[in-house]
Formats: sequence, C-alpha cells, structure tokens
Amino acid sequence: MSLGYAGLMGFGAYTAAILSRDFGLNMWEAMPISALVAALAAGLFGLPSLRISGHHFAITTYVMCELLRIALANGGKFTGAASGLDLPPIGTVLGVKLDKLSNTYMLVAAFMFISMLAAYCIANSGYGRTLRSIRENEQLARSLGVNTNLHKVGAFMLSGLFAGVGGDLQAYNFRHISPDLYGGATSLYFALMVMLGGPRTIFGPLAGAIIVTFLPEVMRIDPVDSRIAYGLALIAVVMLLPGGVITAVGRGYQRVARTLRGRDAVDGSPDPGASWT
Amino acid sequence: MATLEIKGLRKTFGGVVALAGVDVTIQSDEILGVIGPNGSGKTTLFNTVCGVYRPTSGTIHWNGVDIAGKPAYLIGRLGLGRTFQQAMSFPALTVRENVQIAIEHGSRREDGAGPRWSSAEELLEFVGLEAFAGEVTSVMPFGNLRRLGVAVALGGRPAQLLLDEPAAGLNEGESVQLVHLLRRAHELGVGICIIDHHVGLMAELCARLVVLHFGNKIADGPVDEVLNDPKVIEVYLGGEE
Repeated sequence: MSLGYAGLMGFGAYTAAILSRDFGLNMWEAMPISALVAALAAGLFGLPSLRISGHHFAITTYVMCELLRIALANGGKFTGAASGLDLPPIGTVLGVKLDKLSNTYMLVAAFMFISMLAAYCIANSGYGRTLRSIRENEQLARSLGVNTNLHKVGAFMLSGLFAGVGGDLQAYNFRHISPDLYGGATSLYFALMVMLGGPRTIFGPLAGAIIVTFLPEVMRIDPVDSRIAYGLALIAVVMLLPGGVITAVGRGYQRVARTLRGRDAVDGSPDPGASWT
Repeated sequence: MATLEIKGLRKTFGGVVALAGVDVTIQSDEILGVIGPNGSGKTTLFNTVCGVYRPTSGTIHWNGVDIAGKPAYLIGRLGLGRTFQQAMSFPALTVRENVQIAIEHGSRREDGAGPRWSSAEELLEFVGLEAFAGEVTSVMPFGNLRRLGVAVALGGRPAQLLLDEPAAGLNEGESVQLVHLLRRAHELGVGICIIDHHVGLMAELCARLVVLHFGNKIADGPVDEVLNDPKVIEVYLGGEE
C-alpha cells in the first residue's frame, strides 16, 4: 500500500494553481496537465516498488510525501511557501454557476462516478487481470512473460492520473491550497478510508470516505474524539472485518439471501434445485 | 524443433557452488528428466535458465539466442515456460482467470511457440479442470493446484516446459494422471524437461535422464543406461565401505 497519495494530489493541485497564476489557465484547461504532472510524479513515487514491498514501501512513500510537503513549504514565491497559493473561482459552464457549493458538489460527485466507472473498466479488462496477477504472484506472472516492473510503475502512473484530476478539483473547490493539505497525515487518512471501506473493491474506498468524512460531521463528533474513534474502528476492522465494511456487507447480504432461499424451499416455493419426485 | 543449449553453466552463492559448470542440450522433441539428491543444483539450474538468477559464468542459448542473465519475463516471452517447486497460482483469482492471464500473454508470442489455445475453456478441458473453472484457486485441493500450475504454464504457449517437481505431494493416482497429461502436452509439440525425486515416475515418463550431484553433471543418457550407471547408484545408494 502506498502512503503517498496525498502528495500526488498535491502535484495536481499545485500544477493547477501555478498554471492559473502564471499562465491564466482555468480549471478545465489545467486539468489534463495536472493529471499528467501527477502521473509523472507517481512514476517517480512508484520506482521504489521495484526493489521493496510491504511495510518498507509504505514507509518510503510516506517519507516521499513528507518531503514534498517540506519542499512546498520552502518553495518561496513559486509554491507560495507555507501560506500556499490562491485560485480563482471555477466559473460558469453552459450557464451553470459551478462556484455555488451545491453545483461544485455535483461536479465533484460526477468526477467521482466517472473515476469509479474507469476503475471498474480497468479492473475487469485484460490489463486489470494482468495487474491483479502481479499483486497475487509476481514471480509466476514474470515467468509468463509479464513485464512486472513496467506494469508496477505504469499502475502507479495510472493512479497518479486520478490523483492529479482530484488535486485540480480540490484546489478549485477550496480556492486556497497550502503544503499541509498534501502531507503524510492526509495520506494516512486516505489509507484509513481504503482499509475501513474495503481494499481491492470499487465501492470500498467510497464507503471508507463516507465513514471518515461524513459520519463525524453527522454525529457531531469532536475532531479529537473522531481520531480516537478512527483508531478504534481501524483496529476493529483489521481484527473482525479484514476485507473492510463493503466486503462484510456483501457477505452478510449473500448469507441472508442463502437463508431466505433455504426458507423458500422449506415453504414449498419454487426452488431451482428442488426435486419433485 | 527448439533447442536449449547450456554450456559451462556456473552459479555460486557466496562461497557455495550451486552449479559447477554444467553442459546440457535439451531438444523440444524429447522428454528429459533431471534427477539428483537434495542440493545437487536442479532447481538452481532451472532458475538460472529462466532468469531468476544471473549465471556466474557460462552460456545459455535458446534457439540460438543468448538468454543468459536476461530478465525472466523476456525468457518467458521467448517460449520457455516453467512451473515452480511450490504449487503456484494467482490465489485470489478463479481457475479460469489464472489460465486466461497465461493465454493473454502467451498469445503475443512470436513464431516457434507452443500450441495456441483458443479459450481458457479449451485449455481447462485439456488438463481436466473444466469443472473448477469458477473456483477461486486459494481453496483448491493440492492435486488440482499442481495440475493448474501445468495449465498456467501451458497457457503461455511454451515450446519448452521446465517442470520443477510437479509430482511433489501428489498421491499415486494423481501422479499417473500427471504423467498422462505431460505426455499429451508433449504430443502437442511441447518439449518437456522435468525435475523429480520419484525415479519410478521419471523412468516411466522420460526417454533421457541427466543426473546432477553437487552442481556437476555426473550422467546423461538413456534412462536404463543412466539408472545402471555405477556413479549414479553410488550417489543414490551410497558407496561401498
């Protein structure tokens, strides 16, 4: 697992802010460039994965993320130093004023669903199968002719594209970005979302994001208390629901469906497996 | 016919000499067995040929192409397939997906590669695993997992297959089925080179045997001749006091 994802978003966000400040590009014009810059940065972040894995890799990516935060905070006028950079409003598209909070929300939600659809398509393609094969057994994949090094860095760069678009959207949503937004702590929150929601699933990170961001707001939990709650929730999920909340919900649904099918059969309802003899 | 030519292959790990200059030529129209006691260098030979280890010295040519020290994925792409000592699969994926991955990558092979499979189902039927296509491999019985290992290797369209103890852990019935499967694969034009400790199985399957001992080749020839070689008997049964 990478703990450097916030840093990749930072590349996207700062690219958008600098392009706006120095070249007058708006959010849409900056978006592909933000995505590309974040993807290239992701390629660099992913290089250690060719030599190390597991905890060592997680620590390395976390350190890279922290180094980026320090570099941004000491970047002088170019990065706005510790105070960061301001961005203009998103503006109006097809008569819709996207600066209005509810419209911004819908815009970001639309991008989220597009991203999820893209992730689904990738996961279920031949390319996705190749990536899963590397995750499952790198040595075996290599013996079949899979260039695992290239694919590992490629997968990282692909994730960087998403992070770059996310950074661009976030920068224009907040209209002010600073280095602290893209440090290791934010990456830990992203990892928390994935682990709580369910790694290796499309909906897991979404469920995790809802748990980590919406729930404390809705339940009006104090920010300090919420951190304690996250810690306890993470321990509980790791010990009791290793596949995350989404996987547990899926299994629960299957169990209930099986139980109901069994009851139908007992009640005499049609059951494809039942014999009438 | 594809040829794997190994000359003076030496591999050392620090001060340990795993291969001490091995010469072997393997043709894809034969079934060759490699035997030898534990630690004789059999698996190191496969790992060095397949790019897991870089040779200390010596040459390895596959169809005239120098593959010594080349990355494992490039060697795999050239049509040299292999299985591993441990039964390996992609555990969270289904049996169908396991062979699909192999077929997808195998189909990109150039000329000289082994049999082409039109679908995962065709290959699963060939190895007798069609009934388990939808099963996740992490819950498969060991015998089927071994068979899947061969299926995945065959899916990569190898012209030459290097099998590292494919019968280890199998019962007698499963071993017989494995021999039958490997013979059928050979009939499709796949060269078979197999490591195993089961001398009976090797005698039944192979036409030629190579014997390694402490990284040296001590015998190479027809099965009957090799098994009656005094040096081989001494290695396996111990010398006279």
